[in-house]
Amino acid sequence: MTTLAEEFKTRLQHLGLGEEWEWKNGSWWKTLADVDVRAVTALMLALGARFVAITATEKPNKEIRLDYQWDLEGHLLSFISTTSARNIATIADLSPAADWVERETHEYFLVEFTGREHTRPLMTRAGDPLGINLQKEVAQ
Amino acid sequence: MSYRIPIGPYHPALEEPYKLELICDGETVRDAVMHVGFNFRGIEYLAERRNYLQGITLVERVCGICSNVHSLSFCHAVEQLMETPPPDRALYIRVILAELERLHSHFLWAGVASKLIGFKTLFMACFMLREKVMDALSAISGNRVNYGMNRIGGVNRDIAEPQAVLNILDEMEREITHTVLPIFLEDRTVASRCKGVGVLTKEQAIAMGAVGPLARASGVAQDIRKSAPYAVYDRFEFGVPVETAGDVQARLVVHALEMVESCRILRQALQTLPRGPIHATVPPSAKFKVPAGTAVSRVEAPRGEVLYQITSNGTDIPERVRVRTPTFMNMATVRFTVLGQELADSPLIQASCDPCYSCTDR
Repeated sequence: MTTLAEEFKTRLQHLGLGEEWEWKNGSWWKTLADVDVRAVTALMLALGARFVAITATEKPNKEIRLDYQWDLEGHLLSFISTTSARNIATIADLSPAADWVERETHEYFLVEFTGREHTRPLMTRAGDPLGINLQKEVAQ
Repeated sequence: MSYRIPIGPYHPALEEPYKLELICDGETVRDAVMHVGFNFRGIEYLAERRNYLQGITLVERVCGICSNVHSLSFCHAVEQLMETPPPDRALYIRVILAELERLHSHFLWAGVASKLIGFKTLFMACFMLREKVMDALSAISGNRVNYGMNRIGGVNRDIAEPQAVLNILDEMEREITHTVLPIFLEDRTVASRCKGVGVLTKEQAIAMGAVGPLARASGVAQDIRKSAPYAVYDRFEFGVPVETAGDVQARLVVHALEMVESCRILRQALQTLPRGPIHATVPPSAKFKVPAGTAVSRVEAPRGEVLYQITSNGTDIPERVRVRTPTFMNMATVRFTVLGQELADSPLIQASCDPCYSCTDR
């Protein structure tokens, strides 16, 4: 297994996905320093990867961690980005599969995906408060 | 002249509450708008306010059909954080439960599709077979729906009589291959309602991130049991049926062939079920603390890939429980599959995606 993991890590490097990959607990993880999620999305689509999910997590310091998850050849790749301002560029125009995920992340965690409109709620109803998965003191 | 026809959220054509607004020119659908969220229960939020043991019970109620898949994914993620792999026998039992669940889910879907096609005899046949699977699940777990089988580090109940389950497999396979599959493939009524109807192209399936039988009926050969095996799926021989037409009939055929493959897996698992304990030793529940970290679990549910991501902060309550279900990815494709189709076909087309709104809305 270790050898297979090392082989795939080498393959990730050859694909131009950088070196700082760590295999742990069911996924390959890489932290995005400059949070260029659109460039990552374009690269993933060019490699034939399948969009899986965006997982938002509220950190104790109120920052939002966003894990962009893609399936490449059966391997789960998770790109970790963090936003304190709660806004990040949309990828829904590049990958339509991300549309519903961005909409629910907006409703649950008040993350603004810039470059798109959030005109119609997905899980909540019009007029409902946003940020329903945040700690209560943060939710509006 | 265009008409906007609302179907739902509560409507006889729908199995669960959601709303589909169809914009039609005469009888032809020109556009569609989906509304979901009518089953929203905030399960992710609730799971982050309960301990891990309560979490297992909670996530098993995400869905009434594929309930086992949710507790399996949840436990699998926690086991990675705790570095507590289940013993072999438990892994085999998990596979057996998962495949029985796939069988009953696919029979349910085949029955509902048959009813919408107007083939009520097949509806009855599918539900009769489904009952046999439900009886097997009930005999193993004591429950027909929420089985309560998974625990962190293994399973709660053993399979005392594997032969009893093996006995029903012969009849199951015979009925699928001699009754269900020939009807789906050759019957004129089925062909007239399903062939060329509700097409989802391979390109659309990939772009929308479709998963499971819906994607495989559009030529996308992906199955987590093969591409990223969990439990002991890598020890069994089975195929991943793929069709390329992308229409309702292709979805019928993929579902039927998958049932045959499930029987193959079940036979191998039941015949080679190893002896041994059914769960690992883990700390008593009162002192249950999960080491800090993040783990991801992906499982092939009856409708496709389920993803659980769990983040622990070292306490007995998870910091984050993320649940991404297959229908959440698949339902957005309905907008493409109903375009240009007859209004009267729209209930069957949306049902052919095998939707589960309890899963979608969580």
